[in-house]
Amino acid sequence: MSGPHVALFVTCLVDMFRPSVAFATVKLLEDAGCRVEVPPVQTCCGQPAWNSGDRENAKAIARQVIAAFEGYAHVVVPSGSCAATIARDYERMFEADDPWAARARALGARTHEITAFLTDVLGVTEVGQKAPVSVTYHDSCSGLRSLGIREQPRRLLASVAGLELREMAENDVCCGFGGTFCVKYPDISNVMAGDKTRNIAATGADMVLAGDLGCLMNMAGKASREGRAFRARHVVEVLAGDLATPPIGEAG
Amino acid sequence: MSLHEATTPAFRANARAALDNANLQAALRGSRGNFITKRARAREDLPEFDALRDRARDIKDHVLAHLDLYLEAYEAQVIASGGHVHWAETAEEARAIVLDLCRQAGAKAVNKGKTMISEECGINDFLAENGIAPVETDLGEYIIQLRGEVPSHIIAPAVHVTVPEIEAAFRKAHTHLDPDRDLSDLAALQAEARGVLREKYFQAEVGITGANMLIAETGHSVIVTNEGNGDLTQSLPRMHIVMASLEKIVPTLEDAATILRILGRSATGQEMSVYTTFSRGPRRPGDPDGPEEYHVVLLDNGRSNMLATPFQDMLRCIRCGACMNHCPVYQAVGGHAYGWVYPGPMGAVLTPSLIGVEQGGQLPNASSFCGRCEEVCPVRIPLPGMMRSWREREFEKRLTPAAMRRGLGLWAFAARRPRLYRIAARLGAGLLSRLGSKTGRIASLPFARGWTGERDLPAPQRGGTFMDRWKAARR
Amino acid sequence: MSARARILDRIRAAAAPGDRQATVAAWMAAPGGGPLPHQATSHGAQRLTQFMQKLDAAAATVGRVSALAELPKALAHELRKRKLPARIRFGDDPVFAGLDWGTIGTSRGPGRIEEPATLSRAEFGLAETGTLVLASGPDNPVTLTFLGETHFVLLREADLCGGFEDFWTAWRERGLDPRTLNMVTGPSRSADVGQVLQLGAHGPVALHVFLLS
Repeated sequence: MSGPHVALFVTCLVDMFRPSVAFATVKLLEDAGCRVEVPPVQTCCGQPAWNSGDRENAKAIARQVIAAFEGYAHVVVPSGSCAATIARDYERMFEADDPWAARARALGARTHEITAFLTDVLGVTEVGQKAPVSVTYHDSCSGLRSLGIREQPRRLLASVAGLELREMAENDVCCGFGGTFCVKYPDISNVMAGDKTRNIAATGADMVLAGDLGCLMNMAGKASREGRAFRARHVVEVLAGDLATPPIGEAG
Repeated sequence: MSLHEATTPAFRANARAALDNANLQAALRGSRGNFITKRARAREDLPEFDALRDRARDIKDHVLAHLDLYLEAYEAQVIASGGHVHWAETAEEARAIVLDLCRQAGAKAVNKGKTMISEECGINDFLAENGIAPVETDLGEYIIQLRGEVPSHIIAPAVHVTVPEIEAAFRKAHTHLDPDRDLSDLAALQAEARGVLREKYFQAEVGITGANMLIAETGHSVIVTNEGNGDLTQSLPRMHIVMASLEKIVPTLEDAATILRILGRSATGQEMSVYTTFSRGPRRPGDPDGPEEYHVVLLDNGRSNMLATPFQDMLRCIRCGACMNHCPVYQAVGGHAYGWVYPGPMGAVLTPSLIGVEQGGQLPNASSFCGRCEEVCPVRIPLPGMMRSWREREFEKRLTPAAMRRGLGLWAFAARRPRLYRIAARLGAGLLSRLGSKTGRIASLPFARGWTGERDLPAPQRGGTFMDRWKAARR
Repeated sequence: MSARARILDRIRAAAAPGDRQATVAAWMAAPGGGPLPHQATSHGAQRLTQFMQKLDAAAATVGRVSALAELPKALAHELRKRKLPARIRFGDDPVFAGLDWGTIGTSRGPGRIEEPATLSRAEFGLAETGTLVLASGPDNPVTLTFLGETHFVLLREADLCGGFEDFWTAWRERGLDPRTLNMVTGPSRSADVGQVLQLGAHGPVALHVFLLS
């Protein structure tokens, strides 16, 4: 293949909880003509350390990611949140005169969330899939507000034959995940998650889609505890035509 | 509830209590979305809105970079117009100045327009302790004063109070009125407060207001209200005291207009609030109304220490309340849970600056960093970024809870060693996958009750981690 | 050392180097410079229409008066329509002093605790937002703006500005220095009871503008 050389940043949650998201991402990239590699030196983007005020560990992890990923034309991430950490936060971690700041900036400029990469960089308009389902889409906060991802997943979903998108109320309001927030303040997180599942259920859609596994695990976990009928999937699974894999939080 | 006993360290318990308070939850749910819809419409109706936000940010940044010069220019204008300026480094100093002025005026009662600076200084309790009766005249402030509470929102102080609670407070306080009167509709409640307060307006010797802005060019103090209470408060008594913090300065009348264009729209979705009043000095010779004396108390209380720090941008704040209106955490627990004067995202940044991160450190942690506050802030304050900076200060001072530090340290140790991490991830995924093998989810995990208390944990897919499977498949 | 000196010292210690005096002088010498909203730039008949629309949006009412001598008749009509007593209170504004008020009982002076109707003259109006600008003083005591149940305001069409920009210029040119400059946009209101907006919180329940051609 001669397409763009893309490094996949898997993300820690996808690696551990839902490899099918990474496989779907690889499929979408390869279908679009990319050469995909998965650099072995990757663990997590470091966001938990950065958002907890642990700058030293955040910087150490950032340097590790920068060194491992700077040889590729693009870095693609199946998460708006982790993509934003690499694309926006890495540069802020270093003093302006630290050589790592420039390397962070350079890497940041080549780092993309998957749906944004497909539409904005590769110009993909069709994914060539069929899925007779009704879905609602949750805009995860980091992707939406740090990276401006809103229309990209919707445009791609619109190309899936048979798929119906039913927007929920407050689709841009946080689901209560927020990384460590959900375990630091479980009471508040739970209320936010409950508001979210109520809004999802009110659409009557078969499933909720989103671009971040953290939010999805939170919404799916809350919904299953409440006995809600809707399912939860990462958006790339639908875009890649993988509806065979059990939804999040369900056994195969 | 006394203002000075900050309960910010008890945020978690406060939040739990707030979530269990059915009346509070009803009030919060009732108002939710109103402010958001109105602001969104106001923004749509003004194509230049975002450009005005940029300009407002620039004005405030310019002021903060030249604050000493503008304060001096402002002070000179106030003095030239026959007013007085008093500088207070601390809340204590501000209280003493206000009490002294009230005594000079022979005050038995002091009327108050809405002022968060007076809340910050605890003026009400202090005046009461010294035999002077403070009377809040903003309808919302009046309601909470009757209930012995403090504001739960910087522009809608009684947003946490339900209508039946208001009725109960009025019946308890207004004992001079017919106990069988009908207070069943909102209009009757408002009319009753209006009647009671109308009398009080004419009784006080001193009126205290806040200021939305202080104008260096002219020496004006500006208040923005919808009720008109701030105007009656400052126009009827013989002395008008303005309580304002240093950063309220704007250079010119034109700059004030820029701020006004974004303030009402961001706060309540109004193009202009009903009353925007520019006050300068005491009543002029021959004036039949207005105060005979005009005093401005300029409060620092820690603000000058925020200059040239990562928290300087917080001093751009124009107190519109948009951040809390759009904050899912604020909307879930209300303002009192924050435990000090300023709630919501702006409070989460400002509170540690003013009372110390040791006291206020919970607040910047209680955020999911969803970023909605920054998105709507009219002066583009990077609120989540500043909350993160507070977390960093906490971490450096080793104030982060020990369990959290240990967990984070362990995780980071592995995350910095990819080969070790691979093994840990493999073991973790395998264990969790087995635990949830039947249903695909885990209902209870002893070491993750924060997660599993109220929600299931989706189990990892079978077949190992992605990195292991990728390696196996491709090599 | 005074609190003032200590505060200013701390601010100066935090300031960046450079000729800050000159920067401030330059800023103050050229006020403005912000984006000019289109809605602040109306002219002529369009300005009048916009002003009236904005008054309506702010829950104020408006009527036109072709000559000053017509004001008492127009006011009498409004008072009757609103079932208010045929009484009005206003200040020493010479514009009102010379008029024949006919059957309307008039009184002069600042606002009183119970006042069904008051009358003021606005110095300017802003079409941008439907805002009236009043200047306090003996002619138009500030308390009349807040203590009348219904507040009537006379505004000359010639004093109508497009928005803040031309208003501040006109304001400076007129050279007034009242204790308060009151911008009023509709009648008093509050949403503090049950978060439902109601008119007439402390100030007027109704605001009516007489636009004088």
